[in-house]
Amino acid sequence: METTNKVYLQPTPVRIWHWLNAFGIITLIVTGAQIRFPEYISLLTSYKSAILLHNTAGLMVAVSFSLWFFYYGLVARSIRKIYVPTKDDLQFGILRQAKFYLLTYFLGWKNPHHATPDDKFNPMQKSAYMAIMFVLMPLVALTGILLTNVSPLRELVILVGGLKLLVAAHFLLACSLCAFLFTHVYLATLGKTPMAYIKPMWTGWEEVEPGEHSHHTP
Amino acid sequence: MTMRTQPKRTIWLACLILTLALPLAALAVENSDCLGCHADADTVGKTFRIDPVTFDTTAHAEVGCQECHASVTDKHPDDGATPSKANCQDCHDAIGAEYAGSNHHGNATCNDCHNPHVARGATAVSGVDMNRQCEGCHGNLDMVLKHAEWLPQADLHIAMLPCVSCHTASQDNVITMYIIKRSLTGDRKLATFAELKEQAGGKSIQSLIDRNEDNYISLAELRMFNLDSENHTLRLQGMITPEKVTHDFRTLDNRWDCSFCHASGPAARQTSFVSLIQEDGSYLRIAAEKGAVMDALYGTPDFYMVGATRSKMLDYIGMVIIAGGMVMPIGHGTLRFLTRKNRQHKEEE
Ligand code: HEC
Ligand code: HEC
Ligand code: HEC
Ligand code: HEC
Ligand code: HEC
Ligand code: HEC
Ligand code: HEM
Repeated sequence: METTNKVYLQPTPVRIWHWLNAFGIITLIVTGAQIRFPEYISLLTSYKSAILLHNTAGLMVAVSFSLWFFYYGLVARSIRKIYVPTKDDLQFGILRQAKFYLLTYFLGWKNPHHATPDDKFNPMQKSAYMAIMFVLMPLVALTGILLTNVSPLRELVILVGGLKLLVAAHFLLACSLCAFLFTHVYLATLGKTPMAYIKPMWTGWEEVEPGEHSHHTP
Repeated sequence: MTMRTQPKRTIWLACLILTLALPLAALAVENSDCLGCHADADTVGKTFRIDPVTFDTTAHAEVGCQECHASVTDKHPDDGATPSKANCQDCHDAIGAEYAGSNHHGNATCNDCHNPHVARGATAVSGVDMNRQCEGCHGNLDMVLKHAEWLPQADLHIAMLPCVSCHTASQDNVITMYIIKRSLTGDRKLATFAELKEQAGGKSIQSLIDRNEDNYISLAELRMFNLDSENHTLRLQGMITPEKVTHDFRTLDNRWDCSFCHASGPAARQTSFVSLIQEDGSYLRIAAEKGAVMDALYGTPDFYMVGATRSKMLDYIGMVIIAGGMVMPIGHGTLRFLTRKNRQHKEEE
């Protein structure tokens, strides 16, 4: 029996934030789908409750997103280190990681990226999370906030090209987030065991073999 | 055959013309008689002035002043008598009975909501005009606050829906678009006839949007209107208006339920019109192409009803994006399953 080391990979605020977001976004996708396709989807009994739940979850996710930004950007000051890909990442890292996922993983090789609390994402994750956290999330939240206040913010709505364009943007951004979610959840099961990466997101601790650094958590 | 029936026909025709022309001739004299003074605010004062251009095109012009003010004498106004005023119910007995049976009966008379000299059908007035009929007693802010207790975005609903769409059993709600103009101070209101006339610059205002003036507005014409930089102060605003207004003034249970309007899917919202203001203040409705408001972007950029007017094209694009997100789990997952032996071997080390 080997002794296993434990690494504290995910601080408590990050974990709370992550699961709030996860439940929030799933709620948003389900209720959003009912709002757009009411004649096919009726998970919530009334249309109005779907709208109210969506707006509440949307506000919650928007606030939690702001908290995330505040925590990493101002308190931990590690937003750059964790999320912005380095030059090396862009030149070699992404390719190396792609090769792992698409080829050497199947051959049973080890993940070339070793996660530490300050460098917990591999180069591909960094790029993906950058796009999600700095582009998709802010845009979906902003379009959502405009859509919940069409009358008072009418001039802004017109400025971005009208209600139609706004709804189109919100819908396509939401679809992109949904697409990301599938990939995200799937990649999360690629650890040694399917739960190996998911557990640390819940407990904070990752188990690593002696003499080895931790792996990543998607 | 033809020879024999011809004299008979001529006689009938003469009779018809006579019966039609006699009262018309009598009326024509009397309306203009009265309007000789009543069109002029200096003679009769502002409160008694009646706009002749407006009155002449309403359904009541054919009824005639005298018919409704029967007691007016030759000596009027020097006789000092106040001319009588007809009861609407005398002629509109069905509506009168319907309204008499409603909850609202004790709250307002016909004249509180209608100006008898500007009588127009529901499709010849704008949705904004319809709400003006209620505004005097039911102030806008007050209504927004009351409805906000249960209605999401009540301000938007009150602005885009005539009250009677929800508060009567009125049927057949359609999408009607109006031209809104941005003023120099930045607020947006229904464009007036004069403003549109100026915008059209010598051409008819209909040609602003119905370019070939065939009384049909195609999607291409809508798109041109929305993209034309000449029109940058103008935008099309949509409202849901009833085809026919009933006067039962009750709140049907289904108006509580958002899905009465929202959850019908795009199939239910195919019909739309553009309503253009005329010189006399009435509105002329022109049918727009079927499904025009569902166009992804430019049917009308400012009208969207959740759950009812989505664009199919965007649905497909969204589906492709989501399917893209499934490629990795499904493709990779399959290979992962097929190569599981490679990893088992290593992981058991
Ligand atoms: C010579 C000008 C003149 C003509 C013609 C005229 N009116 Fe008047 N009318 C007046 C004036 C002035 C008043 C306001 C009288 C007053 O202040 O009491 C008035 C008032 C009225 C009133 C309002 C009375 C009230 O106090 O509510 C009615 C109704 C009316 N007229 C109907 C008619 C009709 C119908 C005709 C045509 C048959 C007509 N008038 C023709 C000058 C005229
Ligand atoms: C369909 C019926 C009808 C016709 C036609 C009609 N009136 Fe009236 N008129 C009324 C009624 C009803 C009132 C009372 C309105 C009120 O109490 O608010 C009225 C009121 C008036 C008044 C008082 C001011 C006002 O607006 O309340 C004047 C003046 C007047 N009418 C003149 C005329 C003249 C002139 C004509 C023809 C050009 C005419 N009316 C045609 C029904 C009619
Ligand atoms: C002397 C008969 C008469 C009286 C009184 C009368 N109307 Fe009318 N009204 C008519 C006729 C005739 C029409 C045109 C036919 C129709 O639409 O019913 C009409 C049309 C209308 C219309 C337009 C309907 C449409 O679809 O175009 C309105 C609104 C209206 N009347 C309201 C009133 C109101 C409000 C009163 C009371 C102030 C009133 N009327 C009094 C005869 C009358
Ligand atoms: C509480 C306000 C209110 C009252 C009271 C009221 N109406 Fe109306 N009525 C409306 C509105 C709003 C419309 C739709 C816009 C328009 O045509 O002016 C309308 C429309 C009409 C129409 C045209 C219907 C159509 O479908 O084209 C007639 C005719 C009419 N009313 C007659 C009457 C008569 C007669 C009375 C009195 C018995 C009356 N109204 C009382 C608000 C009212
Ligand atoms: C002359 C004033 C007046 C006008 C105009 C008027 N109302 Fe009212 N209305 C009242 C009064 C007074 C009440 C009773 C008090 C209250 O509920 O606000 C009332 C009540 C109502 C109610 C509540 C009825 C209920 O069952 O409790 C509705 C709905 C309503 N009005 C709709 C309308 C609409 C729609 C219009 C315009 C087409 C309109 N009213 C125009 C005076 C008016
Ligand atoms: C989306 C549909 C809708 C529209 C649009 C709408 N209402 Fe209502 N309104 C309702 C319903 C449903 C109720 C019943 C709510 C209740 O009883 O608490 C109501 C309640 C009311 C009441 C009674 C409020 C109270 O509790 O005393 C009045 C008055 C009223 N509406 C007037 C108006 C007027 C005026 C307008 C237009 C400016 C309007 N409504 C537009 C659906 C609507
Ligand atoms: C973060 C993930 C989010 C997802 C996945 C999502 C998803 C959706 C979807 C699918 C719709 C239906 C759109 C349509 O009919 O075209 C929708 C509508 C809407 N969303 Fe969101 N949304 C999100 C965030 C938000 C936020 C943050 C808010 C507001 C604070 C918001 C407010 C709204 C509003 C008001 C509508 C109705 C708009 C309309 O279709 O007219 N959403 N959302």
